[in-house]
Amino acid sequence: MLPEAAVLLVLVAAAVLFALVFAPATASRRGLLVQGGAGLAATAAIAAVPAFDLALLIILALGAVHAAIPGVRPFAVRLRAPVLAVAVLALGLMLVRVEGPDVLERFAAVGLVAGMAAAVGLLPYIHPFAPDEAVASSPLPWIAFVGPVLAAVVVSRAEVLLSVDAGQAFAAMLIGLGVVNMAWGSIATWLTDDTAAAWRYSFLADWGLVLCGFGLTLADGPRAALLVLFGIVAGRLPLYLVWREPRAEQATREGPFNLLVAALLAGSAPFVGFAARVLLLRGATQLFWPLALVLALGMLLWLPGSLRLGRSMGIPRGRRALGVALVVAVNVAVGLYPLPLLQAAHL
Amino acid sequence: MPSAAVLLPVALPLFAAAVIAVFGFAGVSLGRVAGGAGAWSSVLALLGVWIPVRSSIELTLGPLGYGSSFDLRVDAVTFAFGLMIAAPAALLLTLQPRTWQELSLSLLGLASAIAAVEAGSVVLTAIAGGTAATVAIVLLETEDPRAPRPGWATLLAGWLALSWVGVILQVGGGTAVYSAVPVATVTAPLFAVLAVAALLASNLFPWRTWPADLWSRRSLRAAGITVAILYPLGFYLLVRAYELGDGRYPDPLFNAGLAILGVVAAFAAAARAQAAGTRREFLGEVLPFFGGLGLTSIAIGTGLGLVAGLVNLATAAAMVACLALLPDRAGLASILSIAAAVGLPPGIAFGSRVIGVEATFEAGDLLGLIGLAGVAAWATLMVGGARAIGLPGGRGHPERETFASVSMGIALLTLLAGPAIAAIQVGFANPVASEVMQAPAAPLGGGLTSVVTVTSVLPAVSLLAPLLVLGILVYAVAGTSAIRTQARPALIKLPAGGLWHRAREGLRALTVPEQYRSILNIRELETAATGGQPLLWLAALAALAFAVTR
Amino acid sequence: MAAFAAWLGASTVVLADGRRGLALGLALATTALAAIVWPEAGPAAAAVLGLGGLAAAARRLVVGTAGWGIMPPGSTPRFILCIGGGLLALWIALGVTSGHSSALRFAVLTVAGLSGARALSSEEPAVLLTAVVLLALAVSAAGGLAEGSPAIWTYLLAAALAAGVGWLPLSRPRAA
Repeated sequence: MLPEAAVLLVLVAAAVLFALVFAPATASRRGLLVQGGAGLAATAAIAAVPAFDLALLIILALGAVHAAIPGVRPFAVRLRAPVLAVAVLALGLMLVRVEGPDVLERFAAVGLVAGMAAAVGLLPYIHPFAPDEAVASSPLPWIAFVGPVLAAVVVSRAEVLLSVDAGQAFAAMLIGLGVVNMAWGSIATWLTDDTAAAWRYSFLADWGLVLCGFGLTLADGPRAALLVLFGIVAGRLPLYLVWREPRAEQATREGPFNLLVAALLAGSAPFVGFAARVLLLRGATQLFWPLALVLALGMLLWLPGSLRLGRSMGIPRGRRALGVALVVAVNVAVGLYPLPLLQAAHL
Repeated sequence: MPSAAVLLPVALPLFAAAVIAVFGFAGVSLGRVAGGAGAWSSVLALLGVWIPVRSSIELTLGPLGYGSSFDLRVDAVTFAFGLMIAAPAALLLTLQPRTWQELSLSLLGLASAIAAVEAGSVVLTAIAGGTAATVAIVLLETEDPRAPRPGWATLLAGWLALSWVGVILQVGGGTAVYSAVPVATVTAPLFAVLAVAALLASNLFPWRTWPADLWSRRSLRAAGITVAILYPLGFYLLVRAYELGDGRYPDPLFNAGLAILGVVAAFAAAARAQAAGTRREFLGEVLPFFGGLGLTSIAIGTGLGLVAGLVNLATAAAMVACLALLPDRAGLASILSIAAAVGLPPGIAFGSRVIGVEATFEAGDLLGLIGLAGVAAWATLMVGGARAIGLPGGRGHPERETFASVSMGIALLTLLAGPAIAAIQVGFANPVASEVMQAPAAPLGGGLTSVVTVTSVLPAVSLLAPLLVLGILVYAVAGTSAIRTQARPALIKLPAGGLWHRAREGLRALTVPEQYRSILNIRELETAATGGQPLLWLAALAALAFAVTR
Repeated sequence: MAAFAAWLGASTVVLADGRRGLALGLALATTALAAIVWPEAGPAAAAVLGLGGLAAAARRLVVGTAGWGIMPPGSTPRFILCIGGGLLALWIALGVTSGHSSALRFAVLTVAGLSGARALSSEEPAVLLTAVVLLALAVSAAGGLAEGSPAIWTYLLAAALAAGVGWLPLSRPRAA
């Protein structure tokens, strides 16, 4: 198993544990355990299987099972994206295996990038979203749970399968999609009407950084991507789960706690997002410095949306407060000293 | 001195914050004693580490994971700025009552700011400085969510820009450690980004920003701490920039440009100060004025200018504590504070500004004119100070947070310390100039009693001490009875304050013309993008395929 | 011939709305893919693939809209898709690419492409699940294009997925 994928798997398992421990009293822990466990097993299988074809089949199976979970969105709507993802990935894989003109490998790169984006639910393949849908049946498991491991696997396979020329095209597409997702995600988080949608778009924005990190073919790129993925799985996702819990007061407020959460979500120092941004800027500067300027300016767009999301948390009490404190502490620790995490992923 | 000692100025307030937080969660508030102890321990640690050896001590503990090692250093620059940050904060934490949450956050902010000035590399400074900024914002919100606070975007932008500078240094020169960066790496574009980062970190701009706005808050507990820990950091970056560039900025235009910006900022602050409606409003402009002149002195590029700027900033640090503890009522404390702020002789502010102006003349050419402009700004502030004595105090602050006697003591100290400016320069500022400029253009000499420049000598003791004695005599004879307070009109009437506000409202009121709304309807765009339209997905696939064939 | 049969089976799935038509298309495509896979991966893999697909076809025969429903009114675009897609796949398989079995290339292209398109264009769960089965079979068959002999696990998993996905409990969408 890829070391990076293994690290992400551990984080995902921790996220499941967080969801179980800090679930509201009214939630069915058994249901959470079954769904979370099944998702975790499938994700582990995606990372562990030796052949990419097997991984595609697991994604397909996962997509079908996920679409069958009772939810607000129709079955067809929920199944489309995973099916498209697998179809495109399979076609891409096929093109890289057959002999033919060099442009076929570039098309294969397109298939890998588009398939990954469709599976995770990134622009332009955003999964339709119903704000009032339960987390388990929403697109969140793809973007925040399965997606990180899936992306690591796809990128690592692409490095092996694609030639140098196609690899450059692959990297360029990742960066292009990354910038687009950054911009769209951060602006939409700020301006969209619905708060649940704002949370979803905030994941999109972070994924923009992840894609840019994977697209930077230097050592700092994957490191940055890993740290952002850590921030997604161990920061944004748990906070989203806490936000989803029913609470007595629904009004937004801007107190110190809310600002702290906003700072975490915005990637301010000393949280892990800032360390990731430093690495991204370093990688981008080495590759093409105007890209670093674009990224730096884009990073400022996180602020208004993060303030909005921070305010939406209200004042957590009891277990919710403990959960948030834990998330903040972990993000600070890794933000100040990310080396152990990077070493565990052999980066 | 073991190198691990450099951890103490950071670790001790951090430890104190943790202890206060633990007890706080348990329902026990340790109060000002613990807060003061935590902060003063940082001051004492700085003194204890630096004074015995008076040379650089460094601790390097290995890589952290983002291209920087854990590298802390205490040298002359760290000592100077560390004292400027920690001393006023310690005084405020000792005297003003706070909740345990505010105490913890204040100590956390202090530790972060000290870490920023102790950091041995640019990236680490960016992370620590960014942390201090985040903590300061949270602290201000904890105290009063509705009161003015710094724009988070500008603070974040500044520290992000600095981190970019750090990574450029790592990429271009292999390291971002201040003492090891190859000079050739510090190019003009890189310095421009560094300068922008410094200006954003301290908001050193001609318009009214948070260093002035914070003083209008109902309570000054968080405001005092915030200004104490954040305001010096931008100047710190500009001083360290000399070290990066082997004693100079990469282009003389930067020296001139920053110096001009500084004097414009100082003049704008003085103009706002003399048009203030209350004494508190006047005093709110004092720090930006100090900062403007400090920027000018530091930026001109000579050793004398640098030391003048540092003494000026040290005085500003004292004024932070003075202003935060000063009540808004009339009295001797207010008068002395204003006198200290405007730089009446024989105060140390007077001495530092005289040296600063002298430094601009010695630097020559255009910079001499900047010195003259600085004098004009100073004169404007003095007029404003005279007017401010007769102004109403302001909205008032909680009695338990103000300590008129302590405030008066600080103001008096800065006035009395004028004759000792030479000694302060030698002990406090000269080592900084030696550290960052190595071979200053003109030697700084003069000993403990006078300041020797290239073209002149300022006999500090023999000139200012008699002035001091004279001032004491006059006060002893006349007291404050000779001071008549009355409302006086402003010397310079500022344009209508609503101009900026009206412009902003005008921008907000802009709308897309009716006939174009269907094209630029964001909601429809969002619906289209998130609707899961298969055609859109296939079109995106085709677009990507087309793109790779180019 | 087998490649053509695979295309025909996939096209039947695209053009059919009723469970009999879907089952027929699925069975045809399965048989064709198994026949194409046999020389590359061996009889075991072909048998596994065939069993999985046929099990899915059998399940489809009893679940879904009753009847054949082949080429209902309004299916002209789908018909054009089948013809156009088939021609495009033929060109790519024979004219653009080379190497391993051209039949396999053509079959994978048509089946994967048409099943993906069918999934995007339908709202009916039975149709979607049939498309999922076809896609799984195509993915496993594409393993034969890789260098070296393909492992049996891919076929086993595809067969299990094909056989099992038709048994997924589906509920109607509900308001939260």
